[in-house]
Amino acid sequence: MKMFSVSHKTAFVVDHCPYMAESSRQQVECDVLTKSRAQGVIPLAPVSKSLWTCAVECSMEYCRILYDVYPTNKLVNYIVSDSEFHILNSWRQEDQSTHELMAALAAVGPPNPREDPECCSILHGLVAAVESLCKITELQHEKRTALMDTAERVANRGRIICLTNAKSDTHVRMLEDCIQETILEQNKLAAGSDRLMAIQQCELVLVHIYPQGEDTLVSDRPKKEISPLLTSEVHSVRAGRHLATKLNILVQQHFDLASTTITNIPMKPTLNVCEQEEQHANTSANYDVELLHHRDAHLEFFKSGGTSRDSGLKETVTLKWCTPRTNSIELHYCTGAYRISPTDVNSRPSSCLTNFLLNGRSVLLEQPRKSGSKVISHMLSSHGGEIFLHVLNSTRSTLEDPPSISEGCGGRVTDYRITDFGEFMRENRLMPVSESAHDPSGKLPAERAKAQLERHTRYWPMIISQTTIFNMQAVVPLANLIVKETLTEEDVLTCQKTVYNLVDMERKNDPLPISTVGSRGKGPKRDEQYRIMWNELETLVKTHAGATDRHQRVLDCIVACRSKPPEEEERKKRGRKREDKEDRTEKNGSKDTDDKSWQDSDRSGMLDKEEQESEVIKDSPDSPEPLNKKPRLSTDEVQPPERAKGPVSLLSLWTNRIAAANSRKHQEFAGRINSVNNKAELYQHLKDENGMEVHENGKASR
Amino acid sequence: MPTVVLMDVSLSMTRPVSLDGSEDFQRKNLAVHGLTMLFEHMAANYRLEFTSLVAFSSLWELLVPFTRDYNALQEALSNLEDYDKTCVESALHGVSNIVQQEWGSSCPCQVVLVTDGCLGIGKGSLRHSFHTLKQRGDDKKFPLPFPFPAKLFIMCVANAEELNMTDAMENLEELLHLNGGEGQIFTMDGPLCLKSVQTMFGKLIDQAYSPFHAVLHCGNLSSDVQVFPRPEPVVVDEEVEPMPRTVNTEVDEVGTGATDELEEEASASQMAGKSPNFCVLLHGSLKVEGMVALVQLGPDWYGMLYSQADSKKKSNLMMSLFEPGPEPLPWLGRISHLGPISEAAENPYGEDDSKSPFPVQPQIKRSYAQNVTVWIKASGLQTDVQKILRNARKLPDKTQTFYKELNRLRKAALAFGFWELLKGVADLLERECTLLPDSAHPDAAFQLSHAAQQLKLASTGDSQYAAFDHNIVPMHTDFSS
Repeated sequence: MKMFSVSHKTAFVVDHCPYMAESSRQQVECDVLTKSRAQGVIPLAPVSKSLWTCAVECSMEYCRILYDVYPTNKLVNYIVSDSEFHILNSWRQEDQSTHELMAALAAVGPPNPREDPECCSILHGLVAAVESLCKITELQHEKRTALMDTAERVANRGRIICLTNAKSDTHVRMLEDCIQETILEQNKLAAGSDRLMAIQQCELVLVHIYPQGEDTLVSDRPKKEISPLLTSEVHSVRAGRHLATKLNILVQQHFDLASTTITNIPMKPTLNVCEQEEQHANTSANYDVELLHHRDAHLEFFKSGGTSRDSGLKETVTLKWCTPRTNSIELHYCTGAYRISPTDVNSRPSSCLTNFLLNGRSVLLEQPRKSGSKVISHMLSSHGGEIFLHVLNSTRSTLEDPPSISEGCGGRVTDYRITDFGEFMRENRLMPVSESAHDPSGKLPAERAKAQLERHTRYWPMIISQTTIFNMQAVVPLANLIVKETLTEEDVLTCQKTVYNLVDMERKNDPLPISTVGSRGKGPKRDEQYRIMWNELETLVKTHAGATDRHQRVLDCIVACRSKPPEEEERKKRGRKREDKEDRTEKNGSKDTDDKSWQDSDRSGMLDKEEQESEVIKDSPDSPEPLNKKPRLSTDEVQPPERAKGPVSLLSLWTNRIAAANSRKHQEFAGRINSVNNKAELYQHLKDENGMEVHENGKASR
Repeated sequence: MPTVVLMDVSLSMTRPVSLDGSEDFQRKNLAVHGLTMLFEHMAANYRLEFTSLVAFSSLWELLVPFTRDYNALQEALSNLEDYDKTCVESALHGVSNIVQQEWGSSCPCQVVLVTDGCLGIGKGSLRHSFHTLKQRGDDKKFPLPFPFPAKLFIMCVANAEELNMTDAMENLEELLHLNGGEGQIFTMDGPLCLKSVQTMFGKLIDQAYSPFHAVLHCGNLSSDVQVFPRPEPVVVDEEVEPMPRTVNTEVDEVGTGATDELEEEASASQMAGKSPNFCVLLHGSLKVEGMVALVQLGPDWYGMLYSQADSKKKSNLMMSLFEPGPEPLPWLGRISHLGPISEAAENPYGEDDSKSPFPVQPQIKRSYAQNVTVWIKASGLQTDVQKILRNARKLPDKTQTFYKELNRLRKAALAFGFWELLKGVADLLERECTLLPDSAHPDAAFQLSHAAQQLKLASTGDSQYAAFDHNIVPMHTDFSS
């Protein structure tokens, strides 16, 4: 449906002339006497609705369904006509609710049968409706403003639904002519106004209402074109349930709705669908509930011609209630969700079903089939107090059997900071911000969220072996604060305290959680470890130092406090990075030849990380010394099973042999001998010496 | 998006192509060469797409059902046999059935029709189909437009001049027109040779089978990604926004929080398998935390990323596209109005994740959530009246419920201008008053006659008593003293 189709604006014009006070002659027995009380009591005479009451309640039902399915941008302007017109609401969104309309209708009251019929006419209302259709809506205004140069794309179309008691076909023609003339007049007026728009298309739906038991004086007529601007159709309907059915069909036609009947709704106490009904549970009746929704929810049926015709005129798709199953894996993906409105909103089965759903339960719906397997095609579920009919894909999916992400780029890396990124995501979660809350920066909330993401990711190493500071509990206070847009004086103090604490740790020669993955032996020396840590911390803070003076002060503090070996200072002047790289290749050079053999023997195991480390870290502020690699006794444990199974290449046969031979040339490490499951606790001596937990400074290694 | 290759194997496809002195090729050979090129391209860049091969002449046959096995397709292509005359209509019926059986009628498909432009003779020819188009019943409708969204690509192993000499081009254009203009006709430029058939299929590949490469950004973290199936441009409203919207190739992650579904996977280069990739990190954390990430695909167009696992414990990063618009999921509110939780005084998710600021509740409740009054059916009215009477008999215990129901009925009756009902219910209450047993609490009689009197006043329409927002309050009685 186009945004500005005739359905954007609906003007209801309801006849309030004296003849509408006439009885519909459809009687309602509202005094239902129970047997025990029936004796000696005279039942109350049945009541009957007036034509006016019938028109009002059916039009309210039309609006109720409309507002349920389209809470916004499908607008109603309700007009009542007698000796003059009464406009009960405006096009504004806040005026669009049945409660508002009912309050206004109560103020109007029923037609006064004693009013002079000569003064009264539906025409007053129809003229007002045309004028109203020329008035610009909020959405039209918004889109016209947004489109600027192409504002003419915003169309102005509308529909007038007129509920009246016409005198004859001639009378109807007179009304049509009058509307046509009014449109022409109003369009001239609209041409000279900013707040008015000329009507490009108007659809008149005239519903002639007459009492039961009378013959109609007006004949039905399908839609015909009165002029390029106006089409008109006439429905001649008896008051009462015929009128209700007619308006129900009209609202479906006008707003592309379709009907689904949920069948076999169990009222068993175990399912708690309907607690009130439990007392009658032994009757074990299964109920049907009809729902209206956008017809796209039936796309699959319409295309394959699978709609079933229910009783009479009504077209509905029947779907079976499917007793909830626990195995949710069978659920296919959802391709759409559509708001619903129950046809019979306050009937017992309807309200039981809707309450069941509003309480957070979901219902799967299956296509009724005589044979074959269950086909679940829809699901009913509520979100935020609104019930949606979800369309589930019930055929084969083109997404079946996707490859695992581990087969793709970066899939073999095993030390991603998954937990840290989870924490990062939780800090960057979103929340709805009220439209009125205005930010001085003029940025929309989503833009501010993106800005925060930018700040938080200025320095964010993706793998554990690439970082030292993010593996240290001691750095956490500073790391959390420095990414903030602004810092308080207290924040700066906390950051400084963090730095002093690190200085203290260095003085005490506390160990750091430098990644030793893949390395044999102790890894870099302690002072080298601290150099790496300080460099990384400086990198992090540098990316934020430009934000405010306070950020800069944190950086200053680090620069002032950190230790720098003199030769390093020297190197810095000459361009540290390049030097570093050369350094490394030099040192690596000599070892390369010896080490290659065993490196090759185990490409995918832990050793990969080392290779990677040397690859990756060259981008980081500083690199650790290449580690002294020492052969190990057995490589079997770290070989992934799928590798072990596959065919063995000549190269790997050879390298395995060499590796085995080399490993025999040295004694096994004490740590490895004492290890449990090939894991040895490091820095045990510290525990013994200081009684201090190693993990105090670093997060438990993963 | 799945592809059906519809290959013409009629006799005319065996016509030799006049090549200067070299081997004698048939048009069929050229067609096979072009399709080989397409399959090779798909195997390399589109290996997650499903393709099937159908051969047709006067009959049609499904040679390879939908598969990702491009070797199978290739093999079938090399074993093609030659049959009788071309009958496009029945073949398109075949395609329609094959696709619907496999994918239903909402999955978009691409149909690649490979032919030489000889569209049959006599009954069953495309010309004949079009001549009889208007004289058909519902049961013999022409297969186009397909019941599913489809693009039709017609690959002619012929050049445009040749097709224009007969009505072939005209008929092919009509075919495209019947498909709602979705698709394109490709012809060969210059002499019919391997090179020109390559050029023609190259154009098809550029048009319909170019892989979708994009960059996923999350602040300063980013990753190159390829998206399967390729997200197609969408026209939201041909009047207000006539230009189709396309997914930006720079995809922005906004934050973490139906529809087409997209599968996304990092381009699989074994070389790169060992350097860290943001997608893998994101996927891992989304999976562990059970979260989804919101992605912005273009102006006012969003989607979400999440980890999807199949039953075999393989999981991958999936992207679902929402319908274009500022508020694709009503229970999230406007996406542009989702802000960082750091701005809130108190974490809206609670310190222990026990709360959530979602779903956003609509300002006005839907009818089924607000106890509306509808009397369209007599039973609705009877139920409401009986409810009042039931409570009336239990006064003064049920005083609150009695007045609540009474006021609900009063409001509706006033709105509907149904004053007669107010009088009727007043009469009923007065009758109940007379029927009270001797043992009844004295308050019951007071409340009943008070309520009846108030209803009667309202039924006069007197503005003092008939105001919609006015409520009848219980009569103040005190029997304690």
